[in-house]
Amino acid sequence: MSPRASKKVPDGKLVRVDIEVDDRIDDVRITGDFFVEPPQARRDLESELEGHDADADRETIIAALETVEATLIGFSIDDLADLTMEALDE
Amino acid sequence: MSEGSPGGPFRTDDSWTIVDSGTYSEATQQALERVLLDRVASGEIGPTLRIWYRESPAIALGRFQAYADEVAAEYVEREGIDVVRRITGGGAMFVQPGAVVTYSLYLPADLVSDDIRESYAALDEWAIEALQELGVDAYHEPLNDIAHAEGKIGGSAQRRTDNAVLHHTTMSYDLDIAEMLRVLRVGEEKVSDKAISSAEKRVAKIADHADVSRSAVIDALKRGVREREGTTERPLTDDELASAHQLVAEQFDTAEWNRQL
Repeated sequence: MSPRASKKVPDGKLVRVDIEVDDRIDDVRITGDFFVEPPQARRDLESELEGHDADADRETIIAALETVEATLIGFSIDDLADLTMEALDE
Repeated sequence: MSEGSPGGPFRTDDSWTIVDSGTYSEATQQALERVLLDRVASGEIGPTLRIWYRESPAIALGRFQAYADEVAAEYVEREGIDVVRRITGGGAMFVQPGAVVTYSLYLPADLVSDDIRESYAALDEWAIEALQELGVDAYHEPLNDIAHAEGKIGGSAQRRTDNAVLHHTTMSYDLDIAEMLRVLRVGEEKVSDKAISSAEKRVAKIADHADVSRSAVIDALKRGVREREGTTERPLTDDELASAHQLVAEQFDTAEWNRQL
């Protein structure tokens, strides 16, 4: 499956999370009109989501994302976790 | 880096430089951002304002945007409109020669607040004052918009390295909005969110709010910097252009970069 979830963060930016999922999250893509410094951290956030079980809980997802050192502007780790959970629920 | 900078970036003893010359392709323009940011970071050049002139209509895609989500691919390919990914985040901008005003600030990091929200406001402020002098009631709308009661005039985007900050801005002077809507896919999420859709979709054009030429807008911007700092004006050097052209071939004119997402 290739579900997608997206949201316009209130007072923030548009963020989309696309995932490829079987029993596990195989592939993740995070896109939108947000800002991330350093820019390579966007890919690091994706990598942290990959490999988790398809029924991973929100706390696990948050803990994984929080290991990435990045400044997110216009969205947050919570927004990414919400979008990931929403995509996994599809 | 600095704590807050209430005076904005204009508190340096270094003289500023204004670069206001040359018409280039979108790929060359975006490559110049990398070149000049790196040269400020290395100390080769000081604080610089650059005014852009474009050869043809183009889409400047935000660094983290997906091509397929933002670009009306069929129309854009048929019309031969360039699509170039920026080194800055933010949203896609449709640009036409003579119909937008784009400028860049390349600044040593110690002139810019570490607080991102504050830095957008501070680095837009002088340009907003320049618009106000021309009679356009412009104001800063966080995070990164220059707005008017009737819509969005323009947007800014930043890229930060260890030693330097790029802050570039595109404003609509007289953009063809109907063409913009053919060229860009408007995000469905934005359309469905009624609370924001009206604001997001409205574009305010400088030419609708002040009887001034585009070059008068550019002059007001340059005057804004000149009144605050001693400035010298110069064209791009052959070396800067050669570096940009090399980056065009390696990066900004490649599908690997422009269609990476």
